[in-house]
Amino acid sequence: MRLARAGDESAFAEMVRRYSPRVFRVAARFFRRREQVEEVAQEVFLKAFTQLEGFEGRGSLEGWLARIAANTCLNMLRSARRRPELTASDLTEDEAAWLDNKLAGVAGERHRSAERAVVAADLTDRVFETMTPEDRLVLMLIDGEDASVKDVAELTGWSESNVKVRAFRARRRMREAVERLLARGERNRSERFKSAGER
Amino acid sequence: MRDEHIKATLDGAPLDTLGEDELAAVRSHAAQCKECARALEAARVSLLLLKERAAAGVEPSPFFQTRVLAALRERQSANEAWSLGRLWRAAGVLFSTMAATVAALAALTFVVPQPSATPQEVASAGRAYTAEDVILEQAEQPDDQMSYGQVLTTLYDTDEDAGR
Repeated sequence: MRLARAGDESAFAEMVRRYSPRVFRVAARFFRRREQVEEVAQEVFLKAFTQLEGFEGRGSLEGWLARIAANTCLNMLRSARRRPELTASDLTEDEAAWLDNKLAGVAGERHRSAERAVVAADLTDRVFETMTPEDRLVLMLIDGEDASVKDVAELTGWSESNVKVRAFRARRRMREAVERLLARGERNRSERFKSAGER
Repeated sequence: MRDEHIKATLDGAPLDTLGEDELAAVRSHAAQCKECARALEAARVSLLLLKERAAAGVEPSPFFQTRVLAALRERQSANEAWSLGRLWRAAGVLFSTMAATVAALAALTFVVPQPSATPQEVASAGRAYTAEDVILEQAEQPDDQMSYGQVLTTLYDTDEDAGR
């Protein structure tokens, strides 16, 4: 750490090797394509290299890097345009089928496959596109990864009460978005069923 | 709970962290309330989606370290080039300033008319004459500066004095 701070390249290389899995984990909560995640992670380490002198060593270096990663991702996503709303007609066939299965109550584990997992992750990203980056982060951490409110507060620098409020609102937004998708999907299916019956 | 809607409970915490009692109350209410049943279903699907999304991670490639170091070197060399460029620009500005100063001084010296002289300077200028003026004046004027009449008078006066 001292050597890396002094500009020692090999010490910095060791830092990258040791902490890149953690930085990748943070970046992967926001982005899914490998190129995007790698780009973000690279930016995080370059920022860290220039800001190492400012690291006071109060917390862990890993936590400090994770905070830089979270802030970098939030900034990148803030500049991206959000979709106003996701509708059932925007879904691919696979995504609609995934929702159908969930509605039909098919046990997830039994039918779980890598392909289905990808479809589910794609669908989540589509729902995420209608939400703020902060909502996405808080949901991914607390609901997706079972992180505590305190963990999220440490990572983001928000107060614990702020995290709770954000989580509550984000959960409501996501639930409402999914509810709309399910309702429209159900309506579409019943219309298809009716028209098939008429034929 | 049976008479209350359950949306606040669903939004207050992840569904899988609710206690047995809470979950039972949520289910019993949802069994009687269509709106809350839809909300419960959506909450369940949301949680599944988030779990699936969290499971989709990306591992660093073996070349990532090399890539970061290359980017670091590239950025450092770009910064150096930028510093040199800045130095060059600063030198240019300095040179231009110096040239402008020299030009301004030259203009003040040769082009701009001298400010009006003080009375002392005028007086001294009136008395001042060049070496050329002195020579010319000496050539034009006789040594004694006497008129012709004065010369004659002087000559005759001298002769008369001698006759006496």
